[in-house]
Amino acid sequence: MRRRGILVRAMTYTALAAVFVFFGFPLLYLVSTSLKPRPELFVAVPTVLPRLPSLDAYAGVLFERGFAGLLLNSIVVGLAATTLAIVLAFAVTYPITRLPASRRTRTFVLDWALSLRFLPPIAVVVPYFTIVRAMGLYNQLPALIIVYTIFNLPLAIWMLKGFLQEIPLEVEEAAMSDGASRWQAFRMVLLPLSRTAILSAGVVVFAFDWAEFLFAFILTATPQAMTFPVGVQGLVTQFEIIWNDMAAGGVIAIAVPLMLMLVARRYVITGLTFGVIREK
Amino acid sequence: MTLALRLRSGWAKRSRQEQLVYRLLLPVFVPLFFVATLPFLIAVYESLTSSSGAFVGLANFERALGNPALYTSLRQTAIYGLVVLPTEILLGLGIALLVHRTVSSPGVRAAIYIAAMVPIVIPQIAVGVVFRLVFAPDYGILNILLGSTGHEQILWLSTPALAMLSVATVDIWQWTPFVYLVLFAGLQAVPQETVEAAQVDGAGPWTQFRHIELVYLRPLLLLVLFFRLADVLRVFDAVYVLTGGGPGTTTEFLSLYLYRVGFRFSDLPQASALAVVVMAGMLLFYNAISRFLPAERA
Repeated sequence: MRRRGILVRAMTYTALAAVFVFFGFPLLYLVSTSLKPRPELFVAVPTVLPRLPSLDAYAGVLFERGFAGLLLNSIVVGLAATTLAIVLAFAVTYPITRLPASRRTRTFVLDWALSLRFLPPIAVVVPYFTIVRAMGLYNQLPALIIVYTIFNLPLAIWMLKGFLQEIPLEVEEAAMSDGASRWQAFRMVLLPLSRTAILSAGVVVFAFDWAEFLFAFILTATPQAMTFPVGVQGLVTQFEIIWNDMAAGGVIAIAVPLMLMLVARRYVITGLTFGVIREK
Repeated sequence: MTLALRLRSGWAKRSRQEQLVYRLLLPVFVPLFFVATLPFLIAVYESLTSSSGAFVGLANFERALGNPALYTSLRQTAIYGLVVLPTEILLGLGIALLVHRTVSSPGVRAAIYIAAMVPIVIPQIAVGVVFRLVFAPDYGILNILLGSTGHEQILWLSTPALAMLSVATVDIWQWTPFVYLVLFAGLQAVPQETVEAAQVDGAGPWTQFRHIELVYLRPLLLLVLFFRLADVLRVFDAVYVLTGGGPGTTTEFLSLYLYRVGFRFSDLPQASALAVVVMAGMLLFYNAISRFLPAERA
């Protein structure tokens, strides 16, 4: 019996190790390639690890290719769109979670938001393209900010709804029975209590904005408004790929959401499942 | 007149708090609803006009729906979904059960939890970068491995028979961990007493899975299927940078096809007609399946 237990355990860990190699090795090769100086790309049999690691590729991508500007665009768009989405989502979720909204109203709003998740962006981008050009916003950051705000609003609504539902109604009621107005109760009681909610929804929404490609690809044309993923796309699809530059671009694109994920790891799955899966 | 009166008396009957709901909600929600619906209205308008703006009736829809390339792309999307969804769900479920039953150390579990999160948060474009490095000729991992065993190179992304399998692998790589995390969380919620009672009654691992765990996992499996299906229908970025829909049209899924019509051929009227069909289809589809979602929604 004991023997069998050890055997099972050994097999389990072997299987898990195989899984880790399948998922981890491509990422190792990505990081290692980004650290290779150019001559190491042209050896007959490329090595797994760089022989003389260097940061040349990062400098090349960010400064020689000017991707630092794209990085800045991504950050500006991400921060603006995230802030807008969270504010709007708060305005929508507050009445349906903190006030006696009818079940029908609540279901209508939430269902509407969830159904937007089902729209393929490509179908929406065709009309957006027309609207954005008609408004003279083509190749401008505000166009991306507006589109990203709308597109990630459902996610923000669902995440905030989950959090707000868990804060007892009594905390505001207590403040109001002590003479606070509803606005004061909101600002001085609910808002501070929602800090975690705002932060984690913000982090997840920002990660989505950061990763977005299709809208940026179609609604921008020059580095003035391009975001980082659009730049990386150029490195992957060009005729002769410069491996270390491409890999460095990939690592930078990954680093930002990865760091955010470590901050908000308890809420990533919650966000991706629109709040259905709650980590305790 | 009577209608207005009735509305007003209905409004008056509501408590002040109920009135506040609508006073706060409507000024934000109505414009949002309008902004989110506007693309659909614009698409409808554009689908009924030619690129010079003349009204053409349903001609664009005839061209869009009469184009055999549309059906090729729908078929490829279906094949992709049929490869990717069952694989991810079975693999994710398998790993979740394996870890749940045999790994008891909280440290190892936490490490797996963090590791599983990594592929999920990687932007699609970067996933394209990663798999360029896996599939490329000469510099790609797979071809280096093949070379070291004396095999010839394989063009994973540009051989018609392999391209679909290659991009499906990418999807499986990125999303199996998501399935794992959701199902693992579900297994944690299975009451320990039920499992123990069954074991006392002599239930083997299979019975335990089939009659206890699966019952608890069913709503989550539906949830996973729902979100993954939505993603399969919108898949674009990684496939675009890896194969561009090729070779030929073997990996030209719905989104890539729409992109080609609208932005490669610059046929925005036909693309708008397609967009209208896709949006309407998705909403119908959403309505059909959303009722099966776990009732965590209100």
